[in-house]
Amino acid sequence: MRIDVWLRRAVTVALAMGALCPPLALAQVPARFYWKTLSDANAVPLIYQSVSGNTNPFDPSHRVTSGANFDATLAMAGYARTFTLLDRSAMAAVIVPMGRISGAVNVGGNSVTQAASGFGDPMLEFNINLLGPRAQKNLPDVLRYEPGFSVDLLADLALPAGEYDSSRQLNIGQNRWYGRLGMPVVWQLGAWVPGRRTTLEFLPAVWLFGTNDDYVGQTLKTDPLFQLDAHLSRDFTERAWGSLDVAWYSGGKSSINGVSGEKLDNLGFGFTFGYQINDNLNFTFGYKSTLSDEAPDDLRMDSFMVTLVFGWHPLLEGVRRLHSEK
Amino acid sequence: MKMEQVSANCHAVLNEKNLVCDANSGLTNLGGGVVIDKLGGLLGALGVLGMIIALAVPAIGMAADAPRRPNIVIILGDDLGFADTGAFGGEIRTPNIDALANNGVRFTNFYTHASCSPTRSMLLSGVDTHVNGLGNMDEWTAPNQRGVPGYEGYLNNQVVTLPQLLKAAGYHTYMAGKWHLGKAPDQIPAARGFERDFTLLDGGGSYWDMKNVTAASPRLVFTEDGRYLTRLPKDYYATKTYTDKVISFIDANHGDGKPFFAYVSHQAPHDPYHLPREWRNRHVGAYDQGWDAVRQARLKRQVELGIMPKGTELAERMWFIPDPVVLAPASRAILGKKMELYAGMVENMDHHIGRLIDHLKRIGEYDNTIFVVFGDNGAEGTDLFNMIAGTPGTRDFLFAAINWSQTSPNAWGDPGSFVGYGPMWAQVSMTPFSQYKGWLAEGGIRNALVVSGPAVKRAKGSLNHGLMHVGDLMPTLLEVAGASYPKAHQGRELPPLIGKSWMSMLSGKVDSIRTEKDYLAWEVFGNRAVRQGDWKLRWQFKPYGKGEWELFNVAKDPAERQDVAAQNPGKVKTMTALWDDYVKTNNVILPSRGPFETLEDQLPTRVPVDTGFPPLIYKRQYVPPKELMADPKP
Repeated sequence: MRIDVWLRRAVTVALAMGALCPPLALAQVPARFYWKTLSDANAVPLIYQSVSGNTNPFDPSHRVTSGANFDATLAMAGYARTFTLLDRSAMAAVIVPMGRISGAVNVGGNSVTQAASGFGDPMLEFNINLLGPRAQKNLPDVLRYEPGFSVDLLADLALPAGEYDSSRQLNIGQNRWYGRLGMPVVWQLGAWVPGRRTTLEFLPAVWLFGTNDDYVGQTLKTDPLFQLDAHLSRDFTERAWGSLDVAWYSGGKSSINGVSGEKLDNLGFGFTFGYQINDNLNFTFGYKSTLSDEAPDDLRMDSFMVTLVFGWHPLLEGVRRLHSEK
Repeated sequence: MKMEQVSANCHAVLNEKNLVCDANSGLTNLGGGVVIDKLGGLLGALGVLGMIIALAVPAIGMAADAPRRPNIVIILGDDLGFADTGAFGGEIRTPNIDALANNGVRFTNFYTHASCSPTRSMLLSGVDTHVNGLGNMDEWTAPNQRGVPGYEGYLNNQVVTLPQLLKAAGYHTYMAGKWHLGKAPDQIPAARGFERDFTLLDGGGSYWDMKNVTAASPRLVFTEDGRYLTRLPKDYYATKTYTDKVISFIDANHGDGKPFFAYVSHQAPHDPYHLPREWRNRHVGAYDQGWDAVRQARLKRQVELGIMPKGTELAERMWFIPDPVVLAPASRAILGKKMELYAGMVENMDHHIGRLIDHLKRIGEYDNTIFVVFGDNGAEGTDLFNMIAGTPGTRDFLFAAINWSQTSPNAWGDPGSFVGYGPMWAQVSMTPFSQYKGWLAEGGIRNALVVSGPAVKRAKGSLNHGLMHVGDLMPTLLEVAGASYPKAHQGRELPPLIGKSWMSMLSGKVDSIRTEKDYLAWEVFGNRAVRQGDWKLRWQFKPYGKGEWELFNVAKDPAERQDVAAQNPGKVKTMTALWDDYVKTNNVILPSRGPFETLEDQLPTRVPVDTGFPPLIYKRQYVPPKELMADPKP
C-alpha cells in the first residue's frame, strides 16, 4: 500500500469514528465515543433522535412523569476539538440541543397536553485521558495508537440558557445548572486491526443538578443520578461496526417543594450500527429502550437515533488536496 | 553400559571403519551406505551378539571408548542479513547466536549464493549449482535451460547428499524447516538422507498455516518423516514448531550412542513477517530514524568489533531509495515498522535457537555439538508479493485479495498479512555491502557465519577473515564425522566437490583454507561473479550492474563502490579466464530469460547518490542575526 494512502486512512478512520462526537447530554452516548484521535482535529456532529416515553428527554435527570406519554424530536449540533494537555489526549466540545416535545402532563390533577420547542441548554464538555496511550500528537502516534485499557476523566456542564417557560411543566431548557462527572473506560479486546476491533466500554458517571427555583412556581430539586453505560463494540468490516448497549440509571430522586418522588433504578438496552461513509463522514443508527418499565413510576423511554459526524484535520485536508492534484 | 549402547557403539565404529575402507578401496558402486545400514541394523537387532563382539574384539572395544564424534547442528536463517545479529554489529537482540559466536569463531568472508535453492543445494551436496540441479531457481528456469542436466530445479540424483553420507557414517540425520529443493517423493528430505524430518517443501509462505502466495499453487506442501501432511499440528507457528520437532527428533534417539546431524532450516526471517503478537512491539519507534542512520550505526559497531576494517565505507544507498531525512515522520514510522517487525522475526528465531541450545545443554549434548549458523543468501530487497500479486485483474491479485489482504499495519504479523521490508532495510541488513538477495554484489552473497563447538580450536570469540564458501560444509562435516566423500554413489560417478574442508583452519593450523590462486564463482539469473584473493569480477544486469564486467578490490572496498576494471585490464583478463574455466567446468548455461531482463525499464535512471544533493530540499530555514531583525516601518 502506498504510504500516503495509508496515512490518509489512518487519519480519516480516526476522524470519522465517534471519537469526536460531542456528548449526547440527554441520552446515552454511543459506543466508541471516547476513542482517541489525532490532536487538533475537529468535528461537527449532527444528531437526530426520536424519543417517546414518560420522561422529558431534554432533561437528563430522567424525572418520570407518571402516566405521561411524551413524544419528542431532538436535533443536536455541536463542535468538538481534540488537543493535547499535559501530554494526554483531551477534548473540548460544545453542543446545543434543539427540537420539539409534546405530551400529556398532569396539571392540578388534570391531564393536559403541552408542547414546547426551541433550543435547549447548551452543554460544554471536557474530557482528558488519565490512563492509556499518550496523546496522538503526530501521525506516527496515530499509527501506533491502541487503546489497550484506557481511562478518562469527563466533565460536562450545561448552561441554563435554553428555552424555558416557567408556567409549563414541559420545557426544552431546564432552568438550572447541571452537569456530569464520569470516567469513560475503553478496554480493547484482541487485536487493534480495522475490521477486527473489539472493545468493551464503560462510562460510570454521576449527574449533579442545581435547583430550579421556578418550576411552575415551585422548587425542583434532584438528587445525584448515577449512570453506568456499557457497550460491547465490534467491527464488521473496516468501515462498519456495531455495538450492544446497556445503560443503568440509579438515584436521581426529585422533589418538588419538598415532596419527593421515586428514585430511578432502571435498565436500558439497545444497539448501534456505525458506518464510515467516507474519509470525513461517519454515520450511526441506533435504537434503545428501557426494560422492566411496566409500572407507572418506572422510567419508560425508547428512542431511535441517527448521527452524522463530520470530522476534519488540516493535515488530512492538505494530503487530499495534493493527492487530487495527481 | 547397557546392551543397546554397546551395540550402537559397535555399529558406529563399524560404520566408520567400513566407510574408510569403502572410500579407500573405491568399492562404492554397491552402495556402501546401504550395506552399512543393513549390517548396523542386524547388529542392532542382535544386541547380545553386539555385546559379545564388543567384548571379544579388543580393537573394536578400544574404539568404542574413544571420544564420541560430535553432533552437528546447522542453523540456517532464510534471508538473514550479514549485519543483523549482535555478533556482526546489529542492534537486534540475538543473545543466543551471539553466545555461540562468543564461544566459537565468526567468519567475515563467507559466501553463499544469491538465492535460496542454489545455496541449499551446495550446502547439502557440496557440488556446484549448475551440476546439482539448481543451475537456476526452479521458479525461473529459462527456456534454454529446460531439460538440461543441472537445471532440473531440484536437487538431482547426480549428487549424494551430506545427510546420506552422514547417515551412512553412523549419524542420526534430522531436518526441520524449509527445503526448497524439490517436492516429488524421490526429492524430499526423507529420500535424500534424512531419517526424521518436518519440512516445508516450498520456498516460503505463511508461518501460521498452509497458505501459499500464488493462485496456481495455493497450498504449501509439508512432509513429516517422508509423508505429505494433510494438515499442520495444533498451535503451529513455523519457527516454534520446527524447533519443537528437531528437539523431539533428538530426544527420540538420545542415549543410543549415535551422534546426530540436525539441519534446522528456519523459514525465518523470510517474508512475510509473520510473528506472534508478543514479539511485534519490541522495537517500537527504534527505526524511525531511517535506514541510513541504522546502517551507519551498524558499520561503526562492525569496525569496533573488527568485522570490517577501519575506513570501510558504506555502500551507496540505492539510487531509487529516498534519503530518510527528507521523509515525513509518519512515512519513516510506517516504513520503520516494517523493520521493527523484521527485527522481531530475527529475535524470535534467536529465541527458538536458544531453546534448542538450552535443550542440548540439559541433555548433556551441547559440549559435544558443532554449531554452524548462517543465512542462506543476502537479505530480501525485492517486493516479491508485489511481483506476484500486484497487478489488479490477475488471478494472483484476486487470490491475494482473499488470502493476503491484511494490510493494516496493526495486522502486520497476523495470518493474511504480507510484509516485506523493502530494499532500504535489506541494505541495512547487509551493512556495509551493496545490494541484496538475487544479486551478486556482496550484499547478495556474503553472509555472516558462526561456527562453534568441539572442532573449533581457535580462540573463543575470535574473528577469521579467510575466504570461505557454503560448498565447504560438505567436506568439512564429513571430516568431522570421520567420513569421506565417495567417488560414486548408487552406481553413478559423483561430481567433484567444489569446497575445501575447514578443519585445518578451525584447528588453528592455518588462517585460510584458500590460497591466492583459489577462486570462487557464481551465476544465477544471468548475473555472474568471480572472486579470487582480494579481487572480485562481477557482471550484472543494468541498472544494478553495468551490463559489462566490473572489477572490485573487495578487501579494500567491501561496499563495491569503485569499479576499477578500467585501471586493471590485466586483472580483468585473468579473472575472465577464471570465469571461462568455471563455465566450462560446471556447464554454466546463461539463461535466455530471467527476472531482471526488463529491470532497467522499470527503475528510475541510475544516478549517483551524493549526500545533501540537491540543496533545494536540504537547506534549512535561514535565521538572521537577532540584532539585525526589526519590525516593518510604518
